[in-house]
Amino acid sequence: MAERGKSVLREGMEKAPSSVEDAPEEKIIKALMNDFPTAITDFKKLRAGVVRAKIERRDLLKACKFLRDSLGFEHISMISAVEYDNRFEIVYHISSYAKRMVVELITDTPLDDPTVESVSSVWGGANWHEREAYDLMGIKFNNHPKLERILLPKDYLYHPLRKDFQGGD
Amino acid sequence: MNLFEFSYGIIHWLVDLVNNLWYWLGDVLPWVFGDFFDAVGDFAASHGHIAVMAMLVEALIIIIIGLVNVLNFIWIDRKFMIITPAKVDRMGFLLAPVIFVGSSIAAMCTIPMGFEFYVGTNDTPYSSYPLPGGPEYPGVPASALVAFALFAIAPFAILTAGWSSNNKYTLIGGLRSAAQMMSYEIPMLLCVASVVLLAGSFSFFGIVEAQHDIWFAIPLFLGFIVFLTCLVAEVEIQPFDLPEAEAELVEGWTTEYGGARFGLFMMTGYLRGYIGGALAVAMFLGGWHGPAIIPDPIWFLIKAYIVFVVIEWMRWSVPRVRVDQILNIGWKRLLPLAMLNLLIAAILRTLEVF
Amino acid sequence: MAEMWINMGPQHPMTHGLWNLRVKVDGETIVDAEPEVGYLHRGIEKICEDRTYTQIIPITDRLCYGSSLTWSHLYCLTVEDLMGIEVPERAEYIRVAAIEMQRIASHLMWLAAYAADLGAMIGFIYTMRDREIFIDLLQALTGSRLTYNYPRIGGVAHDTPPNFERDSLRACDYMEKKLKEYEDLFDGSKVFMMRNVDVGKLKKEDAMNLGITGPLLRGSGCNYDLRKDMPYSVYPEIDFEAATHPDGDCYARYRIRMDEMYQSCRIIRQAIQKMPKGKWRIVAPRNAPAGTGLGRVEDPRGEGMMYIVGNGTDRPYRVKIRSPIFVSVSAAKHMLLGYKVADVVAIMGSFDMCIGETDR
Repeated sequence: MAERGKSVLREGMEKAPSSVEDAPEEKIIKALMNDFPTAITDFKKLRAGVVRAKIERRDLLKACKFLRDSLGFEHISMISAVEYDNRFEIVYHISSYAKRMVVELITDTPLDDPTVESVSSVWGGANWHEREAYDLMGIKFNNHPKLERILLPKDYLYHPLRKDFQGGD
Repeated sequence: MNLFEFSYGIIHWLVDLVNNLWYWLGDVLPWVFGDFFDAVGDFAASHGHIAVMAMLVEALIIIIIGLVNVLNFIWIDRKFMIITPAKVDRMGFLLAPVIFVGSSIAAMCTIPMGFEFYVGTNDTPYSSYPLPGGPEYPGVPASALVAFALFAIAPFAILTAGWSSNNKYTLIGGLRSAAQMMSYEIPMLLCVASVVLLAGSFSFFGIVEAQHDIWFAIPLFLGFIVFLTCLVAEVEIQPFDLPEAEAELVEGWTTEYGGARFGLFMMTGYLRGYIGGALAVAMFLGGWHGPAIIPDPIWFLIKAYIVFVVIEWMRWSVPRVRVDQILNIGWKRLLPLAMLNLLIAAILRTLEVF
Repeated sequence: MAEMWINMGPQHPMTHGLWNLRVKVDGETIVDAEPEVGYLHRGIEKICEDRTYTQIIPITDRLCYGSSLTWSHLYCLTVEDLMGIEVPERAEYIRVAAIEMQRIASHLMWLAAYAADLGAMIGFIYTMRDREIFIDLLQALTGSRLTYNYPRIGGVAHDTPPNFERDSLRACDYMEKKLKEYEDLFDGSKVFMMRNVDVGKLKKEDAMNLGITGPLLRGSGCNYDLRKDMPYSVYPEIDFEAATHPDGDCYARYRIRMDEMYQSCRIIRQAIQKMPKGKWRIVAPRNAPAGTGLGRVEDPRGEGMMYIVGNGTDRPYRVKIRSPIFVSVSAAKHMLLGYKVADVVAIMGSFDMCIGETDR
């Protein structure tokens, strides 16, 4: 019975891409929406191969694991931290070599608590990106193996990419 | 007057000049040393004059090779001072250049450039070939052994320099040098042994005279190649310049040296390249034998220079090997080949080809 | 010998810039390694927030001394994405030809430095001589030799100079001939092969997970070239192949770069031949709308990426630059463990380090 069930599932998956509705971008969005119905708040296809999704920060690590294990996003390209008037936005550009696709995963933190879960356990390449975001923007990543300053001296006092930075000495 | 007579004329003039100088000194300072300078002058005027003249010519070669370098380094020295880092072991640090330069120049001096053109050490042609009925000259016909012994002192100086500098790069460089020299000395000396076996003499004069008809590089071609390879490793020229691999160990064992001391190391490095060429020529390439239109010493210098050029040519063309690879090449490739070469020499000797 | 830490850098012949690799050696074998960067941090991302969009172009040139044109090209691509501008076709072709010339020049500079690292000075001298040809071509095109300041938002600064087409085609012919010479020089050298084959192994899965891109990734067998897989500019209309090599060692990376130079010659030739007549620049608006722009290019060293947030003014709100080497060098430890000290030079040399873009 289990055998038959699996084969049926496989047939179903093979059929899916033939329809216009299930282009890869939409499939990613659907998969994310199915697994994290409450966390994903906003999604959009920016252009061919680029998908944007907003996610609550409590589900970030789970979503990243899901992206890597189930959807085959084996590579993180970039982590950017952006400071707005009322929030920090942390933008993860996650890409897949097999699907030739980028997911722009955006999570928000409040200004007074810039803390998110580290994804360096999911992608080894995230390690230095997170250290850089900590160094320049002051975002704290929980459970990071070595959250230290990377570009600036170890005893530097400021996070220079913040908008209130006036130049240190 | 041909070139031969001309060069010998200059040499005789130089000898007379030196003799006169000795006699003049002997006149001016008789009350200091008594008859000492008379004795020296007698020595110079008699059979020793060739030795003094050869010494002069070799000194001239050193000056020509090193003059530009020396001037440059003197200027640097005067400009920036000699720096002795604070945490080095001073004795080893200061002694290493002396050992390195001294042993190298001593090795160079023992290599004769002609049958009548040499610095007398323990070996003269007369001790190898005593004239029938002539005077007896003391001496041991083993100048090749002495030359190789002096040539092999340098790794000791390198290790001293590297260790006493109290720097991790120099330490690694020094230890690499020790390992490399140890593993390349053996195949090289095996090749020398094959040459000695064919020539039947430990003296350079005997070895070169044995090559009057045929150069040893032809029957012992394998040995020549192995010898040349080992020589490159011994004088630390790429691809075997691991002790001072400038890409990984900044300047290797000379990292902490500056000014005149570094200059001495650098210049002696090139000098050792020449010594290597001279050894290869004396051992394998027929020494000073050549058509008589050019005097023997000049033949010797030309050949040594050609070998030196080949070594330098290799330096700029070939990448550097790694430390485990250099030991593999030494122990697994060159040593068996050197043994094989020794076997060939023994067979040739048994068949009385030589 | 006891284990000891060696600082290779910040002033060290191996570093080709200003960074520090701390390696822990047991005798000659590496047991631990830790790269440290940041000595050249100039705060380019912060500087960009205080300049207008046009003023940033020369700053992005300063990101990498080896291939400055790709970075200003990347910046212009990103801003065009943010503003929603279509670039004239001629400008796209000129850009493609120019960045492929830049790629050849960059790879040749890498080859020069790599050969010198391994001790073969002859490679340094030959490759620097041939790099000069492409630098001269770029000088004719852009007016300068190192930092070009050539792409503009909405096109390029000038049209091609007279005889540019002819000279480019000649340079490609010459280069392909010379590349064969280099193959004889390096692949034919036993010592070069000894130093490269099976050194600095990197598995495909590790390379993907560590975020490595560019020749290092393709040298590990992952066929991922942004010019092919997420094409930008006019790359879809040009016929070329992305070079891959399955071995994942230093020799594979060397082969990748050599093959890329062949492919770059092909691309330049096609771009020159297909280049249409017409405008080479359109006037871009001064202000960018509020929103984000994302640009990705295949830099000679890997995947260059830029993320620009605009807020409706003439200055960007936030510029984020992804440097390929910054990510690759974080993986240095994985590749160095178990090899000899001398292999540090070969492995880190095969990264093609460029500190300007790493530290930004």
